[in-house]
This record gives sequence, C-alpha cells and structure tokens, in this order.
Amino acid sequence: MKLDRRFLLRGTCQGAAAVMALPFLDCFLDGKGQALAATGKRIPTRFNTFFYGLGLTKSLWVPKTAGLNYETTIQLKPLEPFKKKMNVFSGLRVMVDDNPNFQHWSGVGASATGISPSKTGLFDSKTIDQTVADVVSRGSRFKSVAAACAGDPKQSYSSLGGANNLPAEASPLSLYTRLFGPGFQDPSRTDWKPDPQIMLQQSVLSVVAEDRNRVTQHLGPSDKARLDQYFTSVREAEQQIAAELKRPDIEAKVDIPTAPDEMVVNSALPNMRKVLPLMARLGALAMATDQTRVFNLSISEPGSQMFVPGDPLGYHQSTHEEPLDPILAYQPRVARYNVYSMELFAAFLKELDAVPEGDGTLLDHSLVYGFTDVAFAKIHALDGIPVLIAGGASGRMKTGHHIVGDGSPVSRVGLTLQKAMGLSVDSWGGGSMETKSPYTELLA
Amino acid sequence: MHNRISVAILALVILACVGQVPASAAGGEVVGMRRLTEQEYRNSIADIFGKDIAVQGVFEPGKRIGGLIEASGAILSITPVGFDSYSKMADSVAVQATSEKARARLISCKPASAGQPDDACAAQTFSHYGLMLFRRPLTGDELQSRVKLAASMTKASGDFYTGLRYGLASLLQSSNFLFRVELAVPGGAKEYTLDSYSRAARLSYLFWNTTPDAELLKAAQANELGTPAGLATQVDRLMASPRLDTGMRAFFSDMLQLDTFDNVSKDSLLYPKWSVQLAAAAREETLRTTIDLALHDNADIRELMTTSKTYINRNLAAIYGVPFNFDEDWVPLAFPPDQGRSGIVTQISMLSMFSHPGRSSPTERGVALMDIFLCEPTPTPPNNVDFSIVNNTDGPLKTVRERLMAHATNPVCASCHTHSDPIGLSLEGFDTIGRHRSTENGQVIDVSATLQGKSFVGAQGLGRFLHDNPKYPACVARKLYSYAKGVDSQDVELQDVKAAYKAFGDSGYRMRNLLKAMTESEDFFRAAPPAVAAKSTKLASQ
Repeated sequence: MKLDRRFLLRGTCQGAAAVMALPFLDCFLDGKGQALAATGKRIPTRFNTFFYGLGLTKSLWVPKTAGLNYETTIQLKPLEPFKKKMNVFSGLRVMVDDNPNFQHWSGVGASATGISPSKTGLFDSKTIDQTVADVVSRGSRFKSVAAACAGDPKQSYSSLGGANNLPAEASPLSLYTRLFGPGFQDPSRTDWKPDPQIMLQQSVLSVVAEDRNRVTQHLGPSDKARLDQYFTSVREAEQQIAAELKRPDIEAKVDIPTAPDEMVVNSALPNMRKVLPLMARLGALAMATDQTRVFNLSISEPGSQMFVPGDPLGYHQSTHEEPLDPILAYQPRVARYNVYSMELFAAFLKELDAVPEGDGTLLDHSLVYGFTDVAFAKIHALDGIPVLIAGGASGRMKTGHHIVGDGSPVSRVGLTLQKAMGLSVDSWGGGSMETKSPYTELLA
Repeated sequence: MHNRISVAILALVILACVGQVPASAAGGEVVGMRRLTEQEYRNSIADIFGKDIAVQGVFEPGKRIGGLIEASGAILSITPVGFDSYSKMADSVAVQATSEKARARLISCKPASAGQPDDACAAQTFSHYGLMLFRRPLTGDELQSRVKLAASMTKASGDFYTGLRYGLASLLQSSNFLFRVELAVPGGAKEYTLDSYSRAARLSYLFWNTTPDAELLKAAQANELGTPAGLATQVDRLMASPRLDTGMRAFFSDMLQLDTFDNVSKDSLLYPKWSVQLAAAAREETLRTTIDLALHDNADIRELMTTSKTYINRNLAAIYGVPFNFDEDWVPLAFPPDQGRSGIVTQISMLSMFSHPGRSSPTERGVALMDIFLCEPTPTPPNNVDFSIVNNTDGPLKTVRERLMAHATNPVCASCHTHSDPIGLSLEGFDTIGRHRSTENGQVIDVSATLQGKSFVGAQGLGRFLHDNPKYPACVARKLYSYAKGVDSQDVELQDVKAAYKAFGDSGYRMRNLLKAMTESEDFFRAAPPAVAAKSTKLASQ
C-alpha cells in the first residue's frame, strides 16, 4: 500500500494493516467523533431530494403510533432497512390560500418552496434544494445536479424561480458524463496537476461575462431577469472551473465505474428498476468525491406515468379510474404502484448508505427530502400529503420518528431540513404556510 | 511605448472591421430575447461553419405555451446546466472550425506568423463570424475584447489558431448568439418597429429556420428591409428557395406537437409492434404529407383534414396493414378505403401521441386536436371528480364510449366533455398505436359524434367537420403569427392577423399566400414600446 504524506502524518489510529481492509476514511475521526476527510477537513453535509408522483395510500402507509419504535406499515415496508435513519411525517397540510388547487402541482410547489403556487407548472420561488445549495455548495464543482429516472429532462423539481427549471440528466450515461466525463478531477490520483486547458477556458468566460455591461440597462424587467439568469450561469461555470483547478479536498476511496451503456429510459417499471440504482450510485459517488453536495433525483412527473407492462391503465389513470375496493376501502392496483415508488426510494437510500465515510455512511452525512404531489391522487387531495426524510445530517438530525403533523403546514419540514443543514433561517414559506416553527425535537 | 503603438494599431484595425455600423444595428431598444431552439442552433452552426461541423450536446428543454414550444423561447433563460452544455459545444465547434483541416475553408486570412498574434487577421475573422453569429455587426467593444483574448491566448500557446479558437468560442457562448436579441426603433406615434437586422433574423428563422444568409444581412445593412419593395424582394427570394421546406417543417412540427413523441412509450406486451423507429417514421410521415400538400402542391391547407394521400415506409406499412414491396425507403400511399381514414388526424402520429401506453384515449385525443387545430384548449377537470364509476371495464359499461357518455349525466363533467370527447369518439376506430379496429371488448364501436351542433360519423366525418370549420384555418394563421413573433397564441386575436388572414382566405387557404401577406405587412415587425423606454438610453452609446 502506498501511503501519502498526509496519511503518515495523521495515520495514527489503527495501523496500516487494518487500514488496508477498511475504507480509508474510517481512520480519521477527531476527538469528538466527528468525521473528517483525509485532509482534516470536515465531511460536508449533503442535501438530496427524491420526488415521486401520486402519493401513497393513507390506510396503508401511516403508522399507527407516533414517536419512536412505531410499527412499520405495509407501504413503508420497503424502507424498513432504513427505519432508524428516517423520519416520516403524516397529517401535514398544504394550504393553497387564494390559489386554486392546481392538479398534481400545488403539492409539488408547496413541498419544494413552502409557497402555494400561483400558476400551474411554475414555482413561485427558488426551490429548497437551491436555497440549501446557495449555502452549502461553495467550493464543490457543481452547485447541484439533477437526474430523472424516467428519462425526461423536464422531470426536475429544482428551480431558481420563474419559468426555468434546472434540467435533469435523463439517462445514466448523460449523468455519468456530466459528473465523471471531461473536467472530472479524480481525488484518488496522486500525480494531480491543474489542467492548463481549463485555465484558458477561464479567460474565455471572463470575456463572455464582460458583455454584460453593454446590455443589461436597456431591458424590460422580465428580459432583465432572464439575462441576469444567463450571467449567473456564466458565473457558475467560472466557479466550476475554479473547482476543477483545485486539488480535490476529499480523498474518497471509491471506485469510479466506467461509463454505463446507452439504455432504454422511460416510465416502464422494469426499466426504472434498472436505471434508478445506476443513477443513485452515480449521485452517491459524485457526493463522495465532492463533485456536488446537492443531488436531486426524480422518478416521475407529478401525475406519474409509471406503468407495469400489460397494464393498459398505468399509474396515473389507475388513480382516477380504479374503483375503491368495497371491502378493502382502497384502490388495490394504485396501492401496488405506491409500493413500487417506495421500493425505488429504498433503492436510492441503499446506494447512499453503501458508501462508507468517516464514522458512518454517506447517508449519515446527508439529508434526503422525499416528497410528492398529492395525498390522495384519486381526488387530488392535499391534506395529509406524505413527507419522508432520511439521513442524519452529520448528527444534526435525530431519526427514527413518526411525526404526527396534526394539520401543520408541510413547510415546517422544509424549515427543519434547512436548520439541520446549518442554514441561518428563521422562517420559511409564504401565506398560511409561512412558518417559524421547525420540529425542534428532531434537531440535535 | 511599444504598447501604446499596438493599442493604436488595434483601434485602427477594429475601426476598419466594424466600419459604419448603421444606426439601426445597435441603436435600438431591446424588445425581445428569444432563446434559440435546438434545431435553430444546429441549422445556424451548419450554415455558418459547414455541415461537417459536429454539434454534440444537450439542449435545455422548452415548454409548450399557447400550443407552441417556440413561444417559450421568449420567456425561458439559460440555467447553469444549460450553459455548461452550450459552453462545451461552443468550444467544440471552435476547435473544429480552426482545425488544420477546416482553416483554408473557414479562415479567410493568414497570420503574418503562425506562432504570433496577428490582430488584423483575428479582427477580420471575428467581425465576419460575429456578424453571422450575432446577426448584426459586432460593436467596437465586442470585437476588441475578442481580439485581445485571441492575442493573449496566442502568446500563451504559441499558436495563432489557438487564439482564434478561444475568440470564436467566446462568440459562440455569448448571450447575443444563444438568444436572438430583437432590437426596435421608434416607428411612428408611440410605436416601435424592429430594426433592419432584427427583421432579417425574424424572416430567416421563420422561412428557413436558420440564421440570415449573407444576402439577407447585406439587405439589412443597406436598410432595404424597411422598404416595401426591398422587403418583398427578400421575402420572395426566401420563399422561392427549397429551404422553405426546412422552415415550414419546423413550424408544423411545433404546431402539430410532434415533439410529443420524445416521451411516448407504449406497453411492449400489449403492443409489441411499437418501437422508437416506428415513432420516428410516424413523425416523418406527417411532416412529408403536410409539406407536400402545403408547399409542393400549393394546395388548400384544409385538405390536410381530408386527404387520403400519405407516405409510408416499411414500419408504417405494418400498422396500416398494407404490403410493402418497394426498394425505396418511402413511397406514396393512398389510405386503404375500408379503414375510414381521413387526413393527418388519422395518421399514426396523431392517433398514438395522444393516447395512453396501453389503450386509446378519446379524451386525450379530443383535447389535443381541439387545441392543435381549433386553438381551443380544454379546461382541467374539477379536483374531486370521481372517475371510477365511468371507467370500470368490468362493470356494465363495455366500451369507452359508454363509459364516457356516463359523464353527460353529471353537469360539471358534461360542460368540458361535450367540448372535447366527440372528436376523440369519432377516432375510436383506431387503437393506441393507430391500427384500424371495429370492435372493443367484443362490442362494435360506434364512431358517431355531435360537436358544436354538427353531427358526423367516424374519422371521415371528423375530417370533413374540421375542413369546413372556419376556426381551423384561422387557428393556422394565429399559430403561424405566434410562432414567428414568439408570443402566446392565446393572446393573439384574429384581428391581429386580419390582412394576412384575408389574403389566406382569398387564395383558397394556400400557405404561401399566408406567409407572404403576413411577412410583408408592417404589423409583422411592430413591437410594443420597451418597458423601460422612458428611462433608458440608447444601446449604441459606447
């Protein structure tokens, strides 16, 4: 085993023989048990979102008891391996105030921004992942990365506000290329040197950015906002290049796989089951190597078009057309699709939990915000919209709880997440959903 | 001392290259910014640098507004994800354009020394490509910053062409290329009108879906597009070119929403014949039929609803249930008479795009066709509608029609379903991938319908209904106008296109007449006064 200088300076905990068998980073804990990377820097806390359409079935997912050690329900069963690393919130509300309940949209907007959307398909403000990224992403290569498991780049619930959503990578190959294609600086390389080509690109971007002075004062407000967005994007490209010129901080001992093959990426469940673990794994590796600290993964549009081959209705049509079973009092086919969504969520968490890091796993140093568009899809009801979060936020989030929301606005969860991410924020959301009350009992 | 001289020389060089910028080139107010679509970008690069320049990358998706993706270019911006891709594409195009292989063709001057900066040659190159890419001459600052960049890159690399590469790359990722920036000048009382170069771009992207060619730019420079005669000369020239096909393919592709195919998946167990190749062929079939009828035959656009003529390849023949014994990839076909098909509404594209993966959907078809051909969007249903009674196929209601008709008993449902369903019901003789059928779940399908007081039977009845409906050609005119100007078609009144619509009708609804009358009308270039007009200063002041 080749030991670099920093390892020898700090490598006092277990002896080299043990290190060989253990993931490298496990060696480095400071006196308080906080995870440190090989460079002595604290491991950043990452933020993830997981979006799935069409909610869950209330009678099958809400645990019977509140607090710790609740009994796992039928629809949460796929997530049981992560029960101690999760919190589930039932009985939350979305208040639409003076806006209509935009079908399959109001719940998305409320969950992602804390604000009842005033137009369908648009977020009324920056989404939570971008608010978090503004604070936590400084120094990482990409401010955020989004991926869409059903193959449509528009299935991204990450937005800077306005009409522009940040497009998602729509296949494992395109996600791989973005993260580990040209410009990727492998942190495990020992012969690292800045790439002179990248430096030249920096001069090009400053010329592009200079054009700004000429035009912006002559625009109407909406075009000005659009041009500002363009120049913000130029600046982010400059920051990305700056990150590519630095020796990577984190010496993650993970193997970057070779590029995945082209594959069919669509809403057919068997394909999603193949695509999701690949995308989740790439996202996890990207976070482990600090390419990004914010990763957004979606499995569908809000009215999910997921389908099992042979089912002529598919998921969304089923929610509206399948009758309630008179004995069971729920829609059996819809309930199966609900569980498929949870299985895909579990597959995402599994990949995050599979990356060892410091004193735990990547999942322990992350937060994952799982949200959806409706509570009861059949009638587009929003009350009781399910929220599932996972990850310990590097010890700042207590887990294992079922929180019974008794009509709290869904924005309380968003505020709690931001607090756990270390943002100095006192209130979040708008209208009746503006809240100053995080779930303090969950914050460590 | 040496430095001061070189600055003076640079200034001279730039003055020579920029020349007399006509007042309209940079003296206007910004009245619009339209992000290039993927196809506009690709066509522009191919025309400026040649078809052998590869463009590889991901483009930011658009949104459909008022039935057109093109309209969203006027409200969308470029996100960090999109810019990252544009920036990489810019560099890749610049590398190819300055490669040893391409140099002789694309760079019209030679440097005094291949290892040294040559500001004159750099300025000549950038002002030429700047004009093509920005669709107007570069300003002095814009040119100077590129010449300086190229000089420093040449010094750093010891290669003149490396300097050019980075200068070109900076033009290719500029907001002035990625957006069509439309400038307007005061044109009468309280009104603005597009300047010459912005007119050239609007015409060129409409007619050819690409950047203005040298001749159009020359006409813009000479201010010819501001005179009726000069404008007519260019409109006639653009319309006489076979490249009009490219422009109108882009328009009809957008209007007919053929991009929907990008996200259509069909259940492979129920419909094993469905494939990506079939989807691509179905899209091509519709475009061929439309362009052939509207441009090549110069026929009445209403016949698109009734024609039995189409084009098929081997994949499509299987769905239409006809033999395919030809050597060519594509051959003309007259629909088999016993299938009751009628125009493009019964082509595989329209039938399969607006259906579920596993079965046909009269509602989706009806909603889409009302919006596409009659410019009548259908409101969304109420939130708490219970659809399950009307959709249980195990119950007493066997066919889709029976299940849908049950909506009529509920007045809340009926208001919308009577609006959109009749169109879809008349198309129930075709399954979700467009195959003809006459029964569903053992029942004979009834394809009669009543819409807006008119009763008709089947797809042929529907085709005739649309053909005779004056809202259809009016919708084509509104959508064309919205597409060209980058506005929401729902905000466009027939009044706004009155003169052009009259010419359209007088000609017997020939697309060419509509195009000519619309683009030669002064209305076409009129712009709302800029929102900040009161406060802002002229752009040219630099």
